[in-house]
Amino acid sequence: MRHRFPDNPRRPDRAAVVIGLLLASVGGLLLWEAHRLPQQGGYGGVGPADVPRMIGWGLMALAVWTVVEAMRGGFEPRPRQQVPAVLWIVGGLAAQLLLLPVAGFSIASGLLFACTARGFGERRLWIALPAGLIFALLVYGLFDGILSLNLPSGPPERLIYGG
Amino acid sequence: MTRFILASLMAGVLALPALAADYTILAPAAPGGGWDQTARTMQEVLRSEGISESVQVQNVPGAGGTVGLAQFVASAAGDPSQLIVGGYVMVGAILTNGSPVGLDDVTPIARLTGEYEAIVVPASSPIQTVGELVDQLKADPGAVSWAGGSAGGTDHIAVGLLAKAAGVDPTKINYIAFSGGGEALAAILGSQVTAGVSGLSEFLPQVEAGTMRLLAVTAPERLEGVDAPTLAEAGYDVVLQNWRMVAAAPGISDEQKAAILADIEKMNASEGWQKALASKGWANTWLAGDAFAEQLAKDRETTEGILREIGLVK
Amino acid sequence: MGTFDFLLQGLAVALDPMILLYALVGVTLGTAVGVLPGIGPALTVALLLPVTYGLDPAGSLIMFAGIYYGGMYGGSTTSILLNTPGESASIVTALEGNKMARAGRGGPALATAAIGSFVAGLLATIALALIAPTVVKLALVFGPREYFALMVLAFVTVSAAFGDSTLRGLTSLFIGLALAVVGIDQLTGQARLSFGVPQLLDGIEVTTLAVALFAVGEALFVAGRGMHRDDEAIAVKGSLWMTARDWGRSWKSWLRGTVIGFPIGAMPAGGADIASFLSYATEKRFTRHPEEFGHGAIEGVAGPEAANNASAAGTLVPLLTLGLPTTATAAIMLAGFQQFGLQPGPLLFATNPQLVWGLIASLLIANVMLLVLNLPLIGLWVRLLTIPRPWLYAGILLFATLGTIGVNPSPVELGMLLGFGVLGYLMRLFGYPIAPVVVGLILGPMAEQQLRRALAIAQGDVTTLIASPIAATLLGLAAAALIVPILMRRYGRGDILVKIAADED
Repeated sequence: MRHRFPDNPRRPDRAAVVIGLLLASVGGLLLWEAHRLPQQGGYGGVGPADVPRMIGWGLMALAVWTVVEAMRGGFEPRPRQQVPAVLWIVGGLAAQLLLLPVAGFSIASGLLFACTARGFGERRLWIALPAGLIFALLVYGLFDGILSLNLPSGPPERLIYGG
Repeated sequence: MTRFILASLMAGVLALPALAADYTILAPAAPGGGWDQTARTMQEVLRSEGISESVQVQNVPGAGGTVGLAQFVASAAGDPSQLIVGGYVMVGAILTNGSPVGLDDVTPIARLTGEYEAIVVPASSPIQTVGELVDQLKADPGAVSWAGGSAGGTDHIAVGLLAKAAGVDPTKINYIAFSGGGEALAAILGSQVTAGVSGLSEFLPQVEAGTMRLLAVTAPERLEGVDAPTLAEAGYDVVLQNWRMVAAAPGISDEQKAAILADIEKMNASEGWQKALASKGWANTWLAGDAFAEQLAKDRETTEGILREIGLVK
Repeated sequence: MGTFDFLLQGLAVALDPMILLYALVGVTLGTAVGVLPGIGPALTVALLLPVTYGLDPAGSLIMFAGIYYGGMYGGSTTSILLNTPGESASIVTALEGNKMARAGRGGPALATAAIGSFVAGLLATIALALIAPTVVKLALVFGPREYFALMVLAFVTVSAAFGDSTLRGLTSLFIGLALAVVGIDQLTGQARLSFGVPQLLDGIEVTTLAVALFAVGEALFVAGRGMHRDDEAIAVKGSLWMTARDWGRSWKSWLRGTVIGFPIGAMPAGGADIASFLSYATEKRFTRHPEEFGHGAIEGVAGPEAANNASAAGTLVPLLTLGLPTTATAAIMLAGFQQFGLQPGPLLFATNPQLVWGLIASLLIANVMLLVLNLPLIGLWVRLLTIPRPWLYAGILLFATLGTIGVNPSPVELGMLLGFGVLGYLMRLFGYPIAPVVVGLILGPMAEQQLRRALAIAQGDVTTLIASPIAATLLGLAAAALIVPILMRRYGRGDILVKIAADED
């Protein structure tokens, strides 16, 4: 499924080196946390810091392994990505997160709906936005009204469903 | 926008005939837990008894209720329509989590329900009385393993208080914390541990079935229908109630506080509330006003003391 | 009256036309809500429980049973078709099931899941009726050290089963283990990796992580690949139904899944997710078609689906015999019992046999009903894939976030959904397997806590870990699972393993 470049198999993979560094920093974070935690082994002798320390060292080892593999070109090239499409969806999720407490479920989720559709190539936002809003309102009515799931409400919910 | 204003106006007009206050109750726990059920039972009774026209329940789970408490203090200040449900567990959680807001920051209204802790051993255990259990604890504290809920919770505090009352160093207790969902119960039934501590209602069916032996309860006096001595009776000065309460927002006036108390008093006296408590097996341990404030202060002091001694609070 | 008389009596009640109607309504509602991505069985049952309040006890019970089984089954549909499991127990179903669906074999995948669920549900419910008291005695023998040994076995077998590339599999697992550290350490009350954020004190919710990594990560990955690719999901290719070959490959997996799922569900610290992981690992080991694993092996759907349903029935063992709710769903069921003023407990079988047998009969009926409802619907479900992608994925994300918003609408929780969604996307991009992250998050804390409990009870004596025959046996099996493949490789029988490794991308 992936594009292969057999003519250049041993190029160091920069992205993979970055992954290795990220793993090392997570490992370092765990080791630092383990260092900070008090040794309260109690009667068992194994305290809250011991398992994080083990996982931290494990991540460090994996980081080294990853960098070695990256240097040997052991990672395969990634499929080409449509970055804007991904950003539309991430943006939609972020917008929902920020708007939810202010504007309520339907506006926030309607926007997520439209942004996701846009990310998948639906360019007619004048269709996607109202469609998302109406769909989210129906879902709100179903879950908040009938199944009494407590969803954050905003102006459209109050207008249609009351309090 | 005009339609929105119109709609709000209409909603306002519709709500006018009922002069009763509207409430929003914050349950600082996920749906289904004890605090959530308390909030929802209050909602039901306040509505059905006509005390309040509209009651909403909002869930803000997390960190022993301290997440919900912090949000409540920040957003509800001065608003007499906002209530929060809480309980004894919060007292400990505020301390162990280093929560920036405490129960000082809300206006406690009343204690509603509560449950006492019980100490049990597996039916096959040679230990017959709480005195024998404490003797073993004194002889070798590490050899007595206690199963209960999470570290620093009510169960852990109960064991700490008992050890202290018996003259055993509370840091030496071998407390094994289990997650909820009956794991501790299974460990006791399977004789994996020496003894178990939890709310009485969790153990009663097992005690009735003869699979566990009830040694003592943490009530101030003997409980009706429960064949076990209190710890005080056995010679250890420990009284501990895992209570649930309702509190109002900070910064409300005395009149507003009195009005809320009147509504909650009405709820407590109603038949619907009594019935709901009975069906859920909750004991009514109503306490309001200064008596409750005093009890709360005392609970906080004891709890902080024992948590420090166990080593959970620095 | 004997066991069978009670069961027959229960069945007679349950076969009343009105009761059958309730069962149908329950199963339909449960499936309908459970099928929404991001909404798992526990939430489904919690949401729909009030629907049953108004009915008489018999009707309420049967509708409840229908909702429960419907919710359990509904989750697998979206796992298979859309790669978006609503909860942890159907994650492994997505692994092979979604590959089958992409290849136009969504029909057989759904069918083997439905029939496997039915077979497992049937056998496990019968086992519940006949051997519950024995099973519960066995389950109680499991203390912290036995659980620790079981977790070690699960780690060894499961991580081997997910290993396309040892490096990437282990990395994924360790990411999960690291995430599991976040939150209050249950045994000492110490906050770990929480950075003073109170919402992190309770740790990372498994559902949030699973929905983020699978549903959100999948949506981002599919969008990122762009639309002009020829590996578009095909609704139906070949037969919509299971072929004779599919049957031949499925039935053993169903039985193995049941045998794994039921006892693990009955253990107070077990769970459907662990059962499904172990079943997947077992299927991968026993299969005659190892080359298909990772590309849509039907055994990988049949086994875990049977295991998670058998485990759901197994959960009822401690609930009915001891009054122990061991899962979120069981806890909600307990609330259902309390509607009738009943406290499930050690005496329930003795004092209320009608109710217990009524429930068991209801589960049997609901199980049949589920099959009757779902087999004809398969043709309809696979058509989900023909919805234009923009609308399909927009809907998936809306429901995926709904599950989180409904339970805990905090910005931190939604932020985690977004952050882990991006993580899931990046992991897919770089070829890291997703499932081990969730495995690490679930098994990590269990292994840690059980180890520390066992050592605390024994006051630090390490030999306690092998002092019980069960723990020693389980650890022995784990050691064998680790060593045998190495020996096989060394003595020349490793060519199959090498070949599989080479086949993986």
